[in-house]
Amino acid sequence: MAELDASLIRRLRSRDERAFRELIEAERDRIYNITYRMLGNRAEAEDVAQEVFITVFKTIESFREESKLSTWLYRVTVNHCKNRIKYLARRHDRDRDELDETSHSQETNGAVVGPPQHAQPDRALAGAQMEKLLQEAIAQLDEDHRIVVVLRDVEDLSIEEICEITGLPDGTVKSRLHRARLALRKRLQRHMVEES
Amino acid sequence: MTAEEVELSDDELATLSDYVDGLLPEAERAAIAAKVDAEPAWKRAHGDMTGTRDALSGMQKARAPASFAQDVTATIHKRSRGSLFAKRSAGDKVPFMALLVLALLAVMVVAYVMWASGSGSLHSAPSAPEGPSGDGSALAPRP
Repeated sequence: MAELDASLIRRLRSRDERAFRELIEAERDRIYNITYRMLGNRAEAEDVAQEVFITVFKTIESFREESKLSTWLYRVTVNHCKNRIKYLARRHDRDRDELDETSHSQETNGAVVGPPQHAQPDRALAGAQMEKLLQEAIAQLDEDHRIVVVLRDVEDLSIEEICEITGLPDGTVKSRLHRARLALRKRLQRHMVEES
Repeated sequence: MTAEEVELSDDELATLSDYVDGLLPEAERAAIAAKVDAEPAWKRAHGDMTGTRDALSGMQKARAPASFAQDVTATIHKRSRGSLFAKRSAGDKVPFMALLVLALLAVMVVAYVMWASGSGSLHSAPSAPEGPSGDGSALAPRP
């Protein structure tokens, strides 16, 4: 992997378009998933994911190879997401909670199934309804908590990787993760109570 | 507040979070496992925490649109007016492989024509000059 990275970085630095396409093909879905989960809106997610790759290509010279290429890529992604969240907040954008077209069309068709009445959120909700609820709950977290919970629990990155990506110490990442999970748990529980 | 409703403190929840992530040392892990087994509040908090984490990790993976790579490179070309990517080398521009195949085909055709011709070359064999009569007297030297 390191050799692959080194070769790819060398080619990216020589402005090789094919190398750039290889990087996009390898990482696009993961980057897009992060931006979508962070922003909760497909159009914004696609736009930010594009900006991530453009930034990477334009600034590859500044990559010092102290971390993996993917770690640097995620760092760029997180920074772009944070900037976009601030920008959207300034614009008072109300479309942040837009969900994917499937769940939207299900709603408009009146096809959303009400959550079953269970005590634990994980067992209570399934499929699209659970997806929608989780996405809304994530969107309500502040950006610092959203980042760690998306990277850890959605993308399954290790605490060490998250520390590298965010530049935060181990303890801060853990405490933010813990608080984010707690907040999500409370929101899901509140939803269950309201529904029942 | 009943025993069922007892909430864990922030510190306890932080420890539980580390336990769920497998970040605790062996001795501490065993102690937390015992609490999760024995105490309803710990058991409930553990269930909620693992449930939330599992639900998050089970979320559908959003996939980038099929045209994503093309869109990004097109945006770069547009913004930089083609100056950001390196100029294409001759190897990128000229389809050398296609040219090689065409050349090989041409050589094979020429070789076949040469093989099929009686003279062994691309030119046809010169035909004998036709005399005025068929008895061969025209070819005989004049005295």
